Order: sequence, then structure tokens, then C-alpha cells
Amino acid sequence: MTSWPFLVVAAHFVGAAVLLAMPRRSRRAAVVVALAPMAAAVVMAALAAGAVIDGDPVTADISWLPALGVSLDVRFDALALIFTFAIAAIGMAIITYAAGYFAPEADLRRFLALLVGFAGAMMGIAITDNLFGLFVFWELTTVTSYLLVGFQDEKGSARAAALHAILTTSLGGLAMLGGFVLLFQAAGTATLSEIVASPPSGTTTTVALVLIFLGAFTKSAQAPFHFWLPGAMAAPTPASAYLHSATMVKAGVLLLLRLAPGFAATGVWTPVVLTVGLATMMIGAWRALRQTDLKLILAYGTVSQLGFMTALVGLGSPVMLHAALAVLVAHALFKSTLFLVVGAIDHQAGTRDIRVLSGLGRRLPWLALIAVLAAASMAGVAPLLGFATKEAAVAALLDEHAWIALAVISVASALTATYALRFVFGAFGTKPPSGEVDHVGPEVAAPGPTLWGPPALLGAAGLVFGIVPGAVDAVVSAAAPGGKLVLWPGWNLALGVSIAIIAAGVAIYAAPAALAHLQHRVAARLAALHVPSAEGSYRWLIDMLNRVADRVTGITQNGSLPVYIGVILITTLTVPAAAWIGAGGALPQLPPLGSAAEIALGVFVAVVAIAVLRAKRRLAAVILLGGVGYSIAGVFVLFGAPDLALTLLLVETVTVAVFAFVLGRLPRRFEEQPWRLGRAMRAGVALVVGGFVTAAALVTNGIRTAPPVADVYVELAPDAGGRNVVNVILTDFRALDTLGEITVIAAAAVGIGALVMRTRTQRRTDDVPDTAREAA
Amino acid sequence: MNVLASLPVAIPFAAVGLTLLAWRRLALQRAISIAATAGSLGVAVALLIAVDTDGVAAVAVGGWEAPIGIALVADRLSALMLVAAGAALLGVLVFAVAQRDTDEALRAFHPVYQTLAAGVALAFLTGDLFTLFVAFEIMLTASYVLITHRARAGDVRATMTYVVVGLIASALFLVGVGFVYAATGTVNMADLSLRLADVDPAVRTALGWLFFMVFGIKAAIFPLFFWLPDSYPTAPTPVTAIFAGLLTKVGVYAIIRTQTLLFPVEGASTFMLLIAGLTMVVGVLGAIAQGDIKRILSFHIVSQIGYMIMGLGFFTVAGIAAAVLFVVHQIVVKTVMFLVGGLVETASGTGRLRDVDGLLHRFPVIAVLFLPAALSLAGLPPFSGFVGKLALVEAGFDAGRWVVVGVSLFASLLTLFSMTKIWAGAFWGAPSANLVRRPPSTMLAATGALVVLSVAIGIAGQPLLELATRAASDLLDPAAYVAATLGGGA
Repeated sequence: MTSWPFLVVAAHFVGAAVLLAMPRRSRRAAVVVALAPMAAAVVMAALAAGAVIDGDPVTADISWLPALGVSLDVRFDALALIFTFAIAAIGMAIITYAAGYFAPEADLRRFLALLVGFAGAMMGIAITDNLFGLFVFWELTTVTSYLLVGFQDEKGSARAAALHAILTTSLGGLAMLGGFVLLFQAAGTATLSEIVASPPSGTTTTVALVLIFLGAFTKSAQAPFHFWLPGAMAAPTPASAYLHSATMVKAGVLLLLRLAPGFAATGVWTPVVLTVGLATMMIGAWRALRQTDLKLILAYGTVSQLGFMTALVGLGSPVMLHAALAVLVAHALFKSTLFLVVGAIDHQAGTRDIRVLSGLGRRLPWLALIAVLAAASMAGVAPLLGFATKEAAVAALLDEHAWIALAVISVASALTATYALRFVFGAFGTKPPSGEVDHVGPEVAAPGPTLWGPPALLGAAGLVFGIVPGAVDAVVSAAAPGGKLVLWPGWNLALGVSIAIIAAGVAIYAAPAALAHLQHRVAARLAALHVPSAEGSYRWLIDMLNRVADRVTGITQNGSLPVYIGVILITTLTVPAAAWIGAGGALPQLPPLGSAAEIALGVFVAVVAIAVLRAKRRLAAVILLGGVGYSIAGVFVLFGAPDLALTLLLVETVTVAVFAFVLGRLPRRFEEQPWRLGRAMRAGVALVVGGFVTAAALVTNGIRTAPPVADVYVELAPDAGGRNVVNVILTDFRALDTLGEITVIAAAAVGIGALVMRTRTQRRTDDVPDTAREAA
Repeated sequence: MNVLASLPVAIPFAAVGLTLLAWRRLALQRAISIAATAGSLGVAVALLIAVDTDGVAAVAVGGWEAPIGIALVADRLSALMLVAAGAALLGVLVFAVAQRDTDEALRAFHPVYQTLAAGVALAFLTGDLFTLFVAFEIMLTASYVLITHRARAGDVRATMTYVVVGLIASALFLVGVGFVYAATGTVNMADLSLRLADVDPAVRTALGWLFFMVFGIKAAIFPLFFWLPDSYPTAPTPVTAIFAGLLTKVGVYAIIRTQTLLFPVEGASTFMLLIAGLTMVVGVLGAIAQGDIKRILSFHIVSQIGYMIMGLGFFTVAGIAAAVLFVVHQIVVKTVMFLVGGLVETASGTGRLRDVDGLLHRFPVIAVLFLPAALSLAGLPPFSGFVGKLALVEAGFDAGRWVVVGVSLFASLLTLFSMTKIWAGAFWGAPSANLVRRPPSTMLAATGALVVLSVAIGIAGQPLLELATRAASDLLDPAAYVAATLGGGA
């Protein structure tokens, strides 16, 4: 059964592909296909559970890129077991629910494909024992969650939220990749279990950890990156329920839980992770109190709970890790339940606004009961699982004298109880009639069984596991030994703290005016201090990025050919020149002056070249240009290559003649164009180019020691059957070059021919009146 | 076996002649063209296998031993490039034939396309610096024809930019060859690698940078890339796709070849890494500023070149191996991206993101082709871009070059950002009214085949990386290359 966990993960991707290939109409078949891999995962997890809890993980080696340390090695331990079970079981509930939630015209098949693919990626994170393998699945969840958040893609808000989510999590993901590479190089292995067993230390490791934290924090919506999560509520509610309860956002906590046993003692661990966790817990709870959208209350609540888990992991001792994992399990259950309840309300009532909803509790008492159970678990009320887990956390904090953490967690937990009440009464309570809004509630139709069944099951699980916490504790303790979950702790200090927390929460809820006042004042104070909000910072960054991009591109792509050429020439030549000077190259020796004829020719070439530049008429310029060519031919004559000189004369003559023909179609004089690149600049570019080429020619000509291959050509030419060495080079020694150049000419001819023909046919069609063309 | 090394050049040259003979018989031209391209690909694969098992294969063209005659030299790098280029050439050719209007509008399309293929193959195989110049000329002249022939009035300027910059680069290249010959008396690269070692280090360094910059114009590195995003998007899709996939990479190949064989240095080059970083960032910023699929993609060509230069800049086996792998990945993925851009244009009549919406709902198959390629471009796992990026990052950390590695990771975030812009802009949303024409199945199949190849590059990352590592070791220790060129040959 070794590779079963991997096969189960793979089955999810196969399932997703099958779903995409299915016809859109077969909804029932789609649901079955989507459920199949998750059912397999549940069965696999159940079969493996016994051995895994006994500390005997299922392992398998799945090699991919050993040269880079990348594998998909499986290590299905108790932590993986918990996650796999939660992902699959809650996933099945969500799929069933989605079948009832989506309207017949919605593309359920595509939604399920994304959801199943996402679930597979999430399970992959849980079961992989390799840093990079984990990263592979990590990024797959990023992409699939992007597509899920943006599923209702006709809405601009959904697209924007999806973008925010993928940018934030990818930012962290890339930092994390850097961290993984550093950790891999520091540890000499990318196998997680080995790294944790013998963790490296030192500066590299510290840097690696901080980078990995960035990945975990962005994924798990920790401050200041938390803002993408509430935005992601643009996703269809079944997706939100899945992503933000059991899966996506837990990935960061999962990674921290995996690393903690090896690195919690590292100097950087507790200060960073604990601080971020506590801050997130407070910010989330505080902001949850301000929301009027049920889904947003839950979203900020999720942020807060994730902060709770992160803070516990930050403290890092075994008992804390045990508590963190327990909280994670409880949260998965109650949060998925609550999201599904909200979905049912939204589906039936068409709104999630607590100012609009009224009297729903009387109309839908069963749904209200489910919500109350889950909300009570969230608030930490006995005998629900949320109570047992929070109790474990409080007891651990008391044991370890973590007073500051305890204080912050207590306050935030009190606020949690408050927003739990706000949620329940907001959704189901009856509000006094108001002139501003028309209440919705009493006329709402009851949801079908697919909409209340799944949350009822999940909510009931929270109750059952709360009464029998031993079932959860067995597997949580196997993953993180050190603590214990109990239904009734007896009268002790921890229980007192818990009771105080809930009492405080109720008290705050009972004083809405004071709370609103305080919220207002804190907001005003923050504004006065110019504390940037996470949302504002994100907008500013994106805005800034777009502006910088526009500005930079405006500079580089100015569209002026002279500017492009100037930059290209200057860069191409000054870089080697600078390198030459930097390497201490000697200045070129001026060669001895040549014969009088050479000097005269040189002066003549220079004069004609300058005359070309000063010519006002095109024809004059072309003829002068030919003059330059003729004088170069003179150079060949002087150096004893009359045949080359003849060839060049021929070429120059033909060129001038062709030019002269073309010029007939152009104005006689050059147009006086405004000089985008100043005259002085152009002269400067020309001087640099000329100077460089001259200097380089002098230097390179002066340093040759070995005999040139040309000597061999002269020697071998007779053997090759020719007396003119140039001819032999062209047709024998280097015939391939000649073939190439002939091809160049052929291609150019073909191209020009095509252009000419096209211009002709175009002109002909242009002559035809539009009406005639329409008729044809 | 050595004759294999000449076939990748000989086949397209022959195809140029045959397609010219088949003038005005389009069906025959198409058949010849496809057969030749497929044949070249097959030969390239065989050559790669042969070279990988038996070592460098050299052919003395015309029977004149190097350095007297021209040598065609196939080592692992050349053969690998040939295979990747062959796949891209074949995919694009099938796409073009299926699309119909490209080769119907330009009678000479097939001869010119084969000319381009011949130039590219010659550039990869030649062991002679001057012949490399000729190869560039062949390739570029063909590209001038391809890019100008359909240019609308408004595009003439941009295509002129392309041609003029190309000519200037060629002139500078020629000047550089002149300098090298003046200093050493030879243009055979193997011979040069021996003789340049004795040349004054200051001159050698200067020549090295001159060639880096000259090839950098063709490879579109910062700050020599302006011409590319201005001109590429104006050409028809198959033309842009093959330009994007191949031409800049031939420039990168030339940089890698000359820098390792002729101008090797000790340790990483900070200046090269600086250029690499700037190329990545400025390129991707350009992409972010665009609102048209082909324009966005054109800037990504530039940005991704930076990654390859970065790998070379580390000047380690791991770095160069990563760069080689990255080139192979880019040849395929960049070609695919432009083909997908062409599919979008076929479906909607435009590539402006503003004017296209909801492709996902109307033509999901295009979305399925786009996603893996786009994610691969952004370097996301499990696609080929991830393998290349991870190899580069690990090589960079090994070389202790944190900064440029950080820049490369940041640039890949921005790449992802701009991919989401295409996705959200063209694929999401309520379908716009202009989504009328389903692209022909053959076009989809040609694109799909390259997508599959791209995914396969990622999955088969390990053997490919091993091959690239062997290729990189050869490059840093060119004794076998030199011996095969100067001593071997048929």
C-alpha cells in the first residue's frame, strides 16, 4: 500500500481532467466523478490510520528531479492523516452541497474540476516529504484557488479579488522558494523529515526561515498580508467554505507545524511567529466585529483563528503544537459549517446582510440550530470541540507562563465570542422594523436537503467530537504529542479563564453602542497616525507598479530609430572600450605614415564622406556615397588587389544606378526634419564609433604573433586548382559561405519581388472603386 | 556518423531550392516544406543521441580541414538547440499551413521559411566565426522578408526599425570578426580558442565584450532590445511565433558559445549579471504596461532573455546548464504563447485585451492551451519554466549571487502578474460579441502538440538537466570540441 497516498492525490488530478472533458449537462455524473477520488482518500486514510497513529508512517520514494533535490516523496504520517481526512471528508460535503447550490445554468462541472484539483494539490502539500515537492503542490493550490476565487468571472470584483489572492500568495511563495533552496543547501537534503530531525543552523538558516515564514504568512493570511482573504469572499460560497476552513489557508500553519519540531528553538522563530500570530488574531477579531456581511464576519473570524494557531505554533513547545493542531481541527469543522449555513441563507434569501435579514430563526429553526452549534464551538462553549481545544490552549499558556500571549489571546477570544453572537443573531434574529431597509426573512423558502444536510453533518461532528474528544485527541496526539483534549477539565484556573472570556464576550455584545464608539475611535486614531491599511497598501503598490511600468516603457520604447541606433552603437562599443581600459590595455601605436598616395587617398575619402553629410539633395548624396566607395577601391589598387577593386567599382556603380532610379520617386531634397537627437549628439556618436573602430583596428593589427590562415590559402591555392587565391577561397576553401551569401541574395530578391508585386496588385485594387469591390 | 552533422544544414538548403522549383504550386511547396522540417527534426534527434554517446562530431566542409576550410561541429549544445528549434519550426509550419492566409499571401513563404531554418541550423552547427556571420545573414534576411511582406502602412516604420537595427548589428559583427582575424589570423572557433588565449588579456576582454554586445542586440538584452517589442507584434502570427521562439535564442546561443569557447573567464561576471537583472526587470515592466497579447508577449521575450544571461553570468557548470535548459524551455514555450495569441486573434479578430472577453466560456480549448504555457512562462510548477527557474536559483545561490537571484524571483512574480492580466482580460468575463470563429482543428492541434512538448520538458526535467549539465561541462572544458574540429572530420 506504499504509494497509495500518492495515487490518491494523482486520482484527484485525473478526476479534474475527466470533469473538464465531460459534457456540461451531466451534472449528476459530474458529482459522482468529483466524489470518487475523495471517497478513495477517506478509505485510504481510514485503512492507514491504525499504523500511522502508532507512529509508523506510510512512505514512498517518487523521484522527479534528483539533480535539483526535487522529489514527490510521500510520508503519510499522523499530520498528513488529519489533513487528508479533513480535506476529503469536508470536500465531499462541499461537493454535495455545491450540487444543490449552483443554478442549473452555472458551469458546475468546471467548478467541481477546480475544486477536486485544488483538493488534490492540498493533499499533496500534506503528504509530501520534500521541500520542493511541497512547493509544487503549494503553487498548484495558488493557481487553482485563483481560478476558484475568480469563478464568477463576469464580476469585476471577483476578478480583482482573485488577482489579489494570487499576487499575495505568489509573493510569499517565491520568497518561500528562495528559503527552501537556502534550507536545502544548508541542510544538504530537501527531505523534510530529515531536515527536522537534524536541523541546520546559522545565518543562512535564519534567512531561509524568514523567507519561509513569508510564504506561510501570506498563505495563511497573517497580518499584514491578511487582506486578500476577506476579498476572496468573492468566490462562490462552497469554495469559500472549503478554502477558508479546512484547506488553503491552513497550508501555512501546516508548514509551520511541520518545521516547528526542528526550528522552534531557533532564535528567530518565537519572536516573529508569535508576534505575527497575536497581531493577526487581534486584527481579525476586531475587524470581524465591524462587518455586516455574514460571509465577511466569517472571513475576518478565519483570519483571527489563523492568527491564534500561528501564535500557538510560535510558542513552539510540544504542548503548544498539540493545542494548535487541535484548534485547527475544531476550526475546520465549525468554520465550514458556518460558511455552508451562510451559503444556504444567501441561496434562499438572496442576501447575506445582517441589517436586512430578520426573523430567519423562526422560519428556519433547524438551520439556526446548526449555526448555533457551530458558533458555540467557535466561541469555545462546552461541550463542543471548540471548547476542548481552546481549553487545551489556555491550559498550556498558563502552564508555560506565557502571560502576554495569554492576555492577547484571551481578549481576542472574548471578541470571538462577541462576533459569534453577532453572527447568530445577525443571521437568525428578529430585528425591530426600520425605515431604511426592507427586511427579508419570514417569506424565505426552506432550503433543500443538499443545502442543510452537509452543514448539519459537519456541525454534528463538532458536537460529537466535543463530547468524545478522545477520538480527535488520539490522532492529534500522534501528530503532536504533548497535550490532551478532555471534555471536562474539572474546576481549575484554565476553566475560569475560559468562562471569563465568554462572559466578557457576551458583555461586549450587550453593549453595542460602547463597542461602536471604541471602533470609531480606534479607526480615527489609526487614521491620525497615518497607519497604512493593508488594503490601501496593496492598491498603492499595484498602482505604483503600473505607473513605474508605464514610465519605464515610455523611456525605453520612444519609437525613434535614431535614438535606438545611437544607444545601440554607443553601448555596443563603449562597453568593450571600458573593459579594455579597465584591463589596462595599452594605447594603440600609431603606424608609420604610409606613402604619399595612401595619405592622399585617405584625405580624399574623409573629404568625400563629410561632403555626403552636408549634401542637401538626395542625388548628390548618393553620388558622393559612390565616390567614397570608389576611393576605397583605390585602396585595394594600392595594396595589390586589382580584381577586388574592379568588383567593388562594379558594385558601387550598380548601387548608385539603382539608387538613382529609386530617387526618381522621392523628393529631390532631404526633408528638413526636426532633430530628435541633437546634431552634437549625432556627431558624438559618430566620433565614438569611428574612434573605437580605428583604435581597435590599430590595436588588433599590432598584436598578432601567429601566422594568419591566409598564408596557407596562398600556399594551397594551386593545389585547389586555381591561381587567383580570392577565387579559390570563394569557391573552394570557404564555398559554404558563398552558398550562404547566394541564398541571402536569393531570399532578398524573392522578398523584394513579393513586395513589388504586392504593391502593384494593391494599386490595382486601390483603383477599383469601393462599391465595385463590395459587389465583387 | 559525422555526415549527420551536415544534414540539418543540407536539408533546409535543399528545401529552399525545391520549394523555389515548385513555385506557384502551393500544395507541393507545403508538402516539401513540412517533409523537410520534419526530416530535419528527425535528423536533429538522431544527431543529439549520437553526439551524446560518441562525443563531438565535426565535418570539414569541402574536404578542407579546419582551420583552412569551414567546419561544422555538433556538440551536445548544438544538437540540443537543433532539436528544440526543429520542434518549434515544425509546429509553427503546421500552424501556418492550417491558418492558410500566411503562405497564401506570400508565395515565397516556404522558400523563405526554409532559408530561415537553414540559417538557424547553420548558426548552431558552424565552428567558424565568419560562417556564423553568414548564418546570421541568412537567418536575418529571411526574417526581413517575413516581417515586411504583410506590413500595413502603419507598421512600415516598426519593420524598418527591425531591418535597420539588424543591418547595424550585422555590420558590427563583421567589424568584430575583422578585429579577431587581425589579432589571431584565424576565424575558426576551435583555433581561435587556442590562439586567443595567447592574446593580450586587455584585447581579449574587449573583444569578448564586443561580441557579447553584438550578439546581445540580436538576443535583445538591456539596453539593446528596443527594436524587438516595436516590430515583432506587427508580423503575422506564425512569423512572430518563430521569431519569438528562435531568433533571440540564436543570439543567446552565440553568446554562450563565444563566451565559453573564445572568451572564458574565471568566476561570475557582475556586469553580466547586472545586465541580466536589468533585462528581466525592464522587460517585464514593459509587458505590464501593454494591453495587447502579442505586445505583452514580446516584452516577455526580452525579460526571459535575462534569465539565460544570468545563468551564463554565474559561469559555473550548474549556471550554464540551467541557462541551456532555460533556452530549450523558452524556445518551445514562447513559440506556443504566440501561437495561442494567434488563436485568440483568429477567434476574435483582435488581440487587444480590452476588446476580447470570455474566451474561456466560448472556446475553452484555447484556455486549456493557454494555461500550462502561461504558468510555465511564469515559472510555476510543475511546468518546464519551474525546472529552469529552480535550476537557475540553485546555481545562483551556489555561486553566492543572492541579489540577482532575488531580482529573478521578483521578475517572475511580475511575469505571473502579467499572465493574469491576459487571463483575466481575454479569458474571463462575459463572452464578447466578436468571438465568432473557432480556429481550425489543425491550428489547435499544432499548438497543442507544442504545449504537450512543453509539459514533457518539465516532466522529463531530470534527463534533460543531466544532458544540459553534460553540455555545460563540455562548454567549460572545450578540449574535446577543439580536438574534434581541428583533428577530426571526414
